Amino acid sequence: MRSTSHSEEGSKVLRANQVSKAFGATQALDRVSFSLEKGTVHALLGGNGCGKSTLIKILAGVEQADAGTIEIRGSEHDLRWITPARAREAGLQFVHQQRSTFPELSITDNLAIGRGYESDRLGRIHWRAARRRTARVLERFQIAAHPDQLLEELSPATQTMVAIARALQDQDESSEGVLVLDEPTASLPAPEVDLLLSALRRYADAGQAIIYVTHRLEEVFTVADKATLLRDGLFVDTVAPKELTHEGLVELMMGRAVEQIERLRGKPEGPVVLEAKGLAAGPLRGVDLSAREGEIVGIGGLIGSGRSTLLKALFGVVPLEAGTVSIDGAHERIATPGQAMAAGVAYVPEDRQKDAAFKELSVGENLSLTVIPDYWHRGVLNRRKEHRDALDLFDSYLIKAESDEAPLSSLSGGNQQKVIVARWLRRNPRLLLLDEPTQGVDVGARAEIYELINRAVSGGAAALIASSDFEELARICDRVVVLRKGVVVAELHEAELEAESIAQRANAEVSA
Amino acid sequence: MSEVKTEGVLPAVGPDPKAGRSGEDASGHRRRKTVRQYLEAYAFLGLLVIAALFFSLWSETGETFPSEANIRTLVSANAVVAIVALAALVPLVCYEFDLSVGAIAGLSSIFVASALANGTPVFLGILLGIGLGILVGLVNAFLITRVGVNAVITTLGMAIILAGVINQKSGGLAVTGDIPLSFSEFGSSTWFGIPKIAYILAVIAIGVYYLLNHTPYGRYLYAFGSNREAAKLVGIRTKLTLGLTFVISGALAGAAGVLQVARAGSADPKVGESFTLPALAAAFLSAAAMRPGRYNVAGTLVAIFFLAVLNSGLNLAGSPQYVNNYVNGAALIIGVALAVRLGRRQEL
Repeated sequence: MRSTSHSEEGSKVLRANQVSKAFGATQALDRVSFSLEKGTVHALLGGNGCGKSTLIKILAGVEQADAGTIEIRGSEHDLRWITPARAREAGLQFVHQQRSTFPELSITDNLAIGRGYESDRLGRIHWRAARRRTARVLERFQIAAHPDQLLEELSPATQTMVAIARALQDQDESSEGVLVLDEPTASLPAPEVDLLLSALRRYADAGQAIIYVTHRLEEVFTVADKATLLRDGLFVDTVAPKELTHEGLVELMMGRAVEQIERLRGKPEGPVVLEAKGLAAGPLRGVDLSAREGEIVGIGGLIGSGRSTLLKALFGVVPLEAGTVSIDGAHERIATPGQAMAAGVAYVPEDRQKDAAFKELSVGENLSLTVIPDYWHRGVLNRRKEHRDALDLFDSYLIKAESDEAPLSSLSGGNQQKVIVARWLRRNPRLLLLDEPTQGVDVGARAEIYELINRAVSGGAAALIASSDFEELARICDRVVVLRKGVVVAELHEAELEAESIAQRANAEVSA
Repeated sequence: MSEVKTEGVLPAVGPDPKAGRSGEDASGHRRRKTVRQYLEAYAFLGLLVIAALFFSLWSETGETFPSEANIRTLVSANAVVAIVALAALVPLVCYEFDLSVGAIAGLSSIFVASALANGTPVFLGILLGIGLGILVGLVNAFLITRVGVNAVITTLGMAIILAGVINQKSGGLAVTGDIPLSFSEFGSSTWFGIPKIAYILAVIAIGVYYLLNHTPYGRYLYAFGSNREAAKLVGIRTKLTLGLTFVISGALAGAAGVLQVARAGSADPKVGESFTLPALAAAFLSAAAMRPGRYNVAGTLVAIFFLAVLNSGLNLAGSPQYVNNYVNGAALIIGVALAVRLGRRQEL
């Protein structure tokens, strides 16, 4: 170890050697080695099932490796006997998104829980001392907030920064600990992501070593100094992202070129599928919207703009206070999901785990829930046909699963999402509503999901996609409707359809 | 791979059989069970067999346990408890507890016994018992799905109220009197050496199995138990689905009350309470047997008869009554613990 040298290069704070782990017959990690330098952000990349979650779990001590060691702060630890306590002792600090903080408590409480409050011998808390200490920590991490503020009052990015500050609060600046961030931006809207990334850059420049796990490649280019790529449990390479193109990195990651889906933007001339007028629900006021056969309409907007509410209202989840909806020219009363489904509407919700996945049920059962009455014939549930159809759906919807009897939770995030999409597309819906359809999904699966959406609309459906990822909207939509505070503020076509222009319209009032 | 197939209209994968490709794919994609999965599924059944063998061979109970009279009592008494357990199972699949199943069975047996003793025709008596169960189930369903009271609280309160009704009706004494001989004979006689009540249990168990595993409704119940919010978003009418489980539960518990009268030839005001604990324990334990991680009918039956054999054997060996409380209470806790563990394992 060259731990004495403090130059930017070569000062390794962590070295993982020959880490292996098998689950049954599957080799999740096969002799993976990588090392991390002081003051760098080091991204860990790979498609679904590449082994990076397993590697993170081992570093966190949640899983034990079959073989391998890590060297950190000059001492070597055997990963076969790693535990969460040992990982922490060794100097690895983890921040999982939104799992480790308490939204209803103050920042002071959040920093003190787990660490302990400043208190006297009787256990009475010295609030002033605790607040002072909190203020110092906030200053050190450049977080603009007051110690007494409740965590939930802060923006999502600031909440994540508090979580990072909490993990690192007791590490003095010269020590060589490692911060591990597991998809910290997965649920953050775009402007918040930038805020967090610039904070990470500052921490790294101050000497902190950061391991950064993400699905979003743009972030890797923005923030990462180095990236280690894994594929099928094997170490592929450690590269400097700044020296690569987007396509080059994807190719390394997937082991093949992933063709970027670009829609040929024409003017869809088909008949109008959705015609909504004067919709009011939640924040929405007087929203008019239409979509034609074969058209993908994007709904852009910030959090709270009503983009998710719009989809929920069209699916009967949020009650419509005013307005009319017609589908294929027929006026529809949509007050429940059942009525929406009868009218030919399908809905893929934003939060897969909470609102769409039946984790304990099998993949096959997850696929058939939307059509199960069709298998019921003369008092018998035709399970053989359900099974056969499930295998057909695996093929046509590009789902990779061990079997249709495996629980849904055994699938990777991208494949779970494809199951949810397939569950709806198999109904051949007229109107497809998708809220953040590629959240937490890797590049490969993302392209596949776009392809599935494209196939559905070329089959005659209309699609509405709400997303906080304006790049995504600009890339896959024919037209984007921008919402701000519940009102349509712009409609962007063809040439004007750029991520920047969407962001501009969505933010206009805020920046003005 | 991801070319945009513009011509690729989605293949219609609706219910429309594609002949001739099931065989290969079925064997190719079906998950083979590992040894551990077999163990998890059938360990409980093994325990039942071992317990039965043990009490048949052990010198303390070797004479009494395997005797025809003991086996017959064991089967017919526990057939009634098993039906109460199946009643608790249906809402449990939705992850809701019905603590009033025992009380409903008790209510039904008291009212049926006194109606029969007063000369009501047998078939009307049977309808009365089941009808009372459905009525209580409807009230439970209304309170839980429309008023929004937590199911544990609703059914616990209901059980206490029903205990009051039972006491008021019976004056705290067993209802005996002139119960038609044909009725009580049915409860104590056998076909081919097996108590007739066991056949009724078999019919009801097959019915509940069919409901849970071979109807869309059953699939909705498992979906509801797995993720309520998602169930709503695939168009399941959640209030109706959940409410109905309490009505079904009430009907089954009411039927169990009727059978209890037939078996005992009388109605004891305390009998309902004594059903509650073993029935709930068995329903919980079912997730640890036959289909691990899922509450199921076969597992419920295995659990009921495992508890029955254990309790009967211990009693015959001369152990005091309180040991049964230990067994039933521990079974309840272990059942929930195993269900949680196996459920979690499935998630990995």
